[in-house]
Amino acid sequence: MAGLDAGLAAQLRAIGIVRWRLFVNSLRSIRGRLNLVSRGLAALLIVGAAIGGATTLGAVAWGMVNEHQLQWLSVPFWMIFFFWQLFPVMATAFTQNIDASSLLRFPLSYPGYFLVRLVYGALDIATALGLTWSAGVLIGISAADLRLAPWALLAVASFVVFNLALARMVFVWIEHWLSTRRSREIMGVLFLLMMICFQVAGPVLGRYSRWPAPHKLTVLAKLLPLVRSLPPGLAAGLVTKATQGQHSSAIFSAVLLAAYTAGALWVLHLRLHGQYRGEGASVGERPKTAGPVYGGASVRRGWRLPLLPGPVSAVYEKELRYFSRSGPMLFTLVMPVIMVFVLWGGRRALMGQQTNFVFPVGAAYCLLVMTNIVYNSFGGDGGGIQFFLFSPISFRQIAAAKNLAQLTVLALDVSILWLGVRLVFQPPRLRVLAFTFAWLLFATPINFTAGNLLSIYSPKRIDYAVFGRQRASESTILISLALQLILLGMGALSLGIARHYHSLWAATGFLSALALPSITAYFIFLSRISGIALSRRDVLTAELCKA
Amino acid sequence: MDSPAIISEGLTRRFGDFTAVQDVNLSVAPGQFYGFLGPNGAGKSTTIKMLTGLMAPTSGRMQILGLDLATHLIEVKRQIGVVPEGMALFGRLTGSEYLNFAGRMYGLGRRTTAKRAAELLDFMELSQQPKTLITDYSHGMQKKLAMAAAVIHGPKVLFLDEPFEGVDAVASGTLKTMLQRMASGGVTIFLTSHVLEIVERLCTHVGIINQGKLVAQGSLDELRSGVVAGTTNQAIEKMTLEEFFLHTVGGNRSAAQELSWLG
Repeated sequence: MAGLDAGLAAQLRAIGIVRWRLFVNSLRSIRGRLNLVSRGLAALLIVGAAIGGATTLGAVAWGMVNEHQLQWLSVPFWMIFFFWQLFPVMATAFTQNIDASSLLRFPLSYPGYFLVRLVYGALDIATALGLTWSAGVLIGISAADLRLAPWALLAVASFVVFNLALARMVFVWIEHWLSTRRSREIMGVLFLLMMICFQVAGPVLGRYSRWPAPHKLTVLAKLLPLVRSLPPGLAAGLVTKATQGQHSSAIFSAVLLAAYTAGALWVLHLRLHGQYRGEGASVGERPKTAGPVYGGASVRRGWRLPLLPGPVSAVYEKELRYFSRSGPMLFTLVMPVIMVFVLWGGRRALMGQQTNFVFPVGAAYCLLVMTNIVYNSFGGDGGGIQFFLFSPISFRQIAAAKNLAQLTVLALDVSILWLGVRLVFQPPRLRVLAFTFAWLLFATPINFTAGNLLSIYSPKRIDYAVFGRQRASESTILISLALQLILLGMGALSLGIARHYHSLWAATGFLSALALPSITAYFIFLSRISGIALSRRDVLTAELCKA
Repeated sequence: MDSPAIISEGLTRRFGDFTAVQDVNLSVAPGQFYGFLGPNGAGKSTTIKMLTGLMAPTSGRMQILGLDLATHLIEVKRQIGVVPEGMALFGRLTGSEYLNFAGRMYGLGRRTTAKRAAELLDFMELSQQPKTLITDYSHGMQKKLAMAAAVIHGPKVLFLDEPFEGVDAVASGTLKTMLQRMASGGVTIFLTSHVLEIVERLCTHVGIINQGKLVAQGSLDELRSGVVAGTTNQAIEKMTLEEFFLHTVGGNRSAAQELSWLG
């Protein structure tokens, strides 16, 4: 039993050393070193955000105390609270998380485990910024009125402890819920809805701003008691009551804040204790399908595309099935509708009465959002790339089938966009339609050519089922962005030509002329793609088959 | 005598300074059930990847069914079936969709593919829950599905990389039944495995690779009686496959003097 008497301190030190070794070992690869550089740049931004945020919030708090506008003191607390709780969720919720409960195989006591989980990962960006900004508020209040410093310290300290406990509680429960693929997908859909809400927030707020003031005040009056009884409101209330000399009420606010903290810790304990007893983070995972059933299998026939070989139809069918089961793909499909709403909301600011250009702008956006798929078209296949490599079909056919599927999605997107524009604005005029299709005819083959090449030269495995941190490689992103700028620039140049000749048809002619070499280049590169893929098969399998 | 179904001459693969496979000369006759053995990191998977076109060799020549892999890659691929290390599945398809896809990729018609897919799903006991995505299959089910996809077009040569790894006894029995049926039907089977009992029971011929070099090759009887070129030694006569394997790769390390604290 030697070794079992190792103390908690030694275990915590061992965990720290492991984390450090993981970091050091990650620097062995070029990618790891590049990540360190990008982390360094991110750290500079964080320091800027910390100092800037703390100064701003401190100044706001100072102004409120100085101007005796303490009824608004909860605003900075609410801002800190939302950032502290929402940012980690946004940053981590949509990825597969490491199951930290793996520490349980070691002889760790429950208090030790609780402590490790409370501290483990708590030193993140949100905590660092939340702490700094809270300190800014504390300094602001204290600078405005030094007598309030002890009360402000009590309020801010209680608020900070509450946020730390709540953030860990939220994180471990989200980690628990996201342990299954299905729940990750559900969260993905929620994320999608949230994105839509953000996109349409502009128009909605625009409408709301036209409400008469008494209506707004009624809504605010109803919300006020609720706002005051929640932790950010309590922290602000503590200071406000101390200013008014109501010290017992101020202490009562602190007690309520402590109760909220205890509640968060208790809910955290429920999850961690469940894990400690052996439930594990993946307790929610449905057991894998098992058990034989004999006979009765009926398999419907695959799709058949006219004039195309069977393997091309098979890849096309597979691609569309993948798209239809992918959250990001659904996001791509609804993007045109969102686009119509966004343009509708900001039509005055963006283009005045020039609603003619809603359709071309929307179509360009449709093509832009597809780059994620086009420029890393084997990313979603993962280990399936091996099947492509050992099956008797050339990569030329595979790439063509994939492009065909992507073209189908683009066509669907543009059709939805056309319908949306027709309903919300007015039917696009013929010359606008012709201009748009000429640009698409020019830009799409270029995107597909570059996409096919980068998909082979710089592949990166992605999971279509999850959101966030699902990006192509850095080089792919850079090249695709540069290319989009060039393509949009050519569109703008063609508009300049149209202005010069006082006819949009001139721009259409110019883009149509450009489309010819673009399509030719596409077919030239497509005919060479098999050889390129064959020479790069080691990289393809190494990058896409890794777990 | 028929020309070999699988031939490799001087097959070599280097990764920078590291030589994973060095000068491997394989010869597998048609209809042979060939087990390719070796310790971890010996070069088994690298060899099978090169033989199936998944990886380019640094040097050397390969022929499958008399066709040179360098010049007739597509023709070779039509004749072979592969279950690679990672199983090459598309996780977001259902089992029947994947088999449909696989059959058509090998050039089968829609009707034939659908018929064979249904039969294979039944045989592999995978016909339950037809809407379940492959990603939600158990490991054993994924192995069976990968095997079904590898045979749907009726290959003449089958390459299997660790087909029994992580598979339970029931699934393993199903796979063995199918492989034995194929072998008796004249299909050449080339498999790698760590499980020597399985190789001993299923295979007629064995090749052993160690540190990238082919150190023994021959029929099971030849290996056991020590008559294989380079291994002839009176001392190893009438060994079991496991004893021969350990003798060949130098795995007779005793733990008796080490780790004494384990009790």
